[in-house]
Amino acid sequence: MSDRLPAGADNRVVSRGYVGRWRDIEAAPDVPDAAAYLVRDNAQAARAVWQHVLEADRRETLVAAQSRIGAEQEQGFRESGLAVVRPPDIEPAVTERPADPGRIWLLTSGSTGRPKQVAHTLDSLTTVGTDQPARTWLCPYATGAYAWWQVVTLSIQVPGQDVVFVEPDQIDGWPALAAEHGVTAASGTPTFWRQAIFRAVDTLSTVPLQQVTLGGEPVDQAILDRLHEVYPDARISWIYASSEAGAAIAVHDGKAGFPAAWLDRETPGRPRLSVQDGELIIASAKAAEGMDAQIHTGDRAEIVDDRVLITGRIASDEINVGGSKASASGVRAVLLSHPGVAWAAVKGRRAPLVGNVVTAQVVLSGSGDLVTEAQLLQWCAARLPDYSVPRRLRVLPEIPIKESLKSDV
Amino acid sequence: MADGCLDYIAMTTLPRDQVRSMMGEVLAAQGKELPAEDAALLETIGFRSLDFSELALRVEDELDEELNFDAPGLRSIETVGDVLTFIDQLQQA
Repeated sequence: MSDRLPAGADNRVVSRGYVGRWRDIEAAPDVPDAAAYLVRDNAQAARAVWQHVLEADRRETLVAAQSRIGAEQEQGFRESGLAVVRPPDIEPAVTERPADPGRIWLLTSGSTGRPKQVAHTLDSLTTVGTDQPARTWLCPYATGAYAWWQVVTLSIQVPGQDVVFVEPDQIDGWPALAAEHGVTAASGTPTFWRQAIFRAVDTLSTVPLQQVTLGGEPVDQAILDRLHEVYPDARISWIYASSEAGAAIAVHDGKAGFPAAWLDRETPGRPRLSVQDGELIIASAKAAEGMDAQIHTGDRAEIVDDRVLITGRIASDEINVGGSKASASGVRAVLLSHPGVAWAAVKGRRAPLVGNVVTAQVVLSGSGDLVTEAQLLQWCAARLPDYSVPRRLRVLPEIPIKESLKSDV
Repeated sequence: MADGCLDYIAMTTLPRDQVRSMMGEVLAAQGKELPAEDAALLETIGFRSLDFSELALRVEDELDEELNFDAPGLRSIETVGDVLTFIDQLQQA
């Protein structure tokens, strides 16, 4: 066991099932050194993390919500040499091997294709190690996801960073939970924030947030502006991070994208960013192990004036409409720029003659009840080439959101 | 068989008049009008490939089932009547 506790050991952890300091979490007995913890809630997850922190010199750990793991994947863990822990039950590994000390496995969200394991350590997952203003963080992310680990490692490594976990079934009521526990900082996807503004903007503004962070999906100017209206005194930041590349970009000026001056710049301790053929490329010391020195992110990057905008996935962004290339993210940006639109998703749909046409789903904001489908299409037609204007547009009653806090946009 | 069942079966394709009406809606969204004559040329009224695609999707949505776009052979679609006939064949395929 490590004889020195991390700097955040006295920080408070609030979860359904455990409220107390990190240092007071009791280790589970008899857990093999190499273990995949399939947890029911964040109390069990915090216990697994703390066990790893205390015994990182011998432990190899994977933490994931039970609800995200199928039987086949669980069997795969056991065959790879990990015991499967469903507290309090332990299924031993079926392949015997020594643990890889300090190793932490993350599961990718699947947005980059087939889910896979990505190799990290506490060190590579810790991107904020310097002193910070004392804050109580809301952590609504899926247990074990990269963004979840970002909040967790911040709380473990930096004094004064308490954490309040949100279970999936508490997502709709998180503002009340945040108010109850004195949350002053919250991190979520743009979809998470859009849904919160859509559902409960009045309640939202009663949570005294000093720090609002966005990540996990492309961050557009409209959501940044809306959050600034709700929280005029808060610092509003967006972070580009992925399981593979680590946390690579943090922007705090309230604008979408990052300064183009950051491209191709060598700064000690900072990732090197570049754009090749419209794709964001990252070289980072905080990347997962086994990655190429230059990570091709698969994310589309566009240089507009003095900013680099990250607008979506390259593979899923292009819609071929009769040979013309419509950009789903570009169409979405136009829809979101309409003041009456709270959320939008754009996809291609198979159609005769032209192969595919652009279709859209939108959720109207409270102030946008009078916006008609025809008006939205006219809005698009005035700003987009003909082939990019959605040909079918559906208005949804509320913003769809997945356990990852993302929506398929 | 009950009348309701017969009605249900009959509803699995849209009548030509209804498709014509939907074609008018596609054009109306762009401030254009659909002439009454089936012989009217698409080029003249400004009904383009994308409009045709949209019409097919409107039909799909109305039927709540996918059309087999590959079934009808290639042909020249030059008039309003050609469009309505093609959509009818798509529904039969």
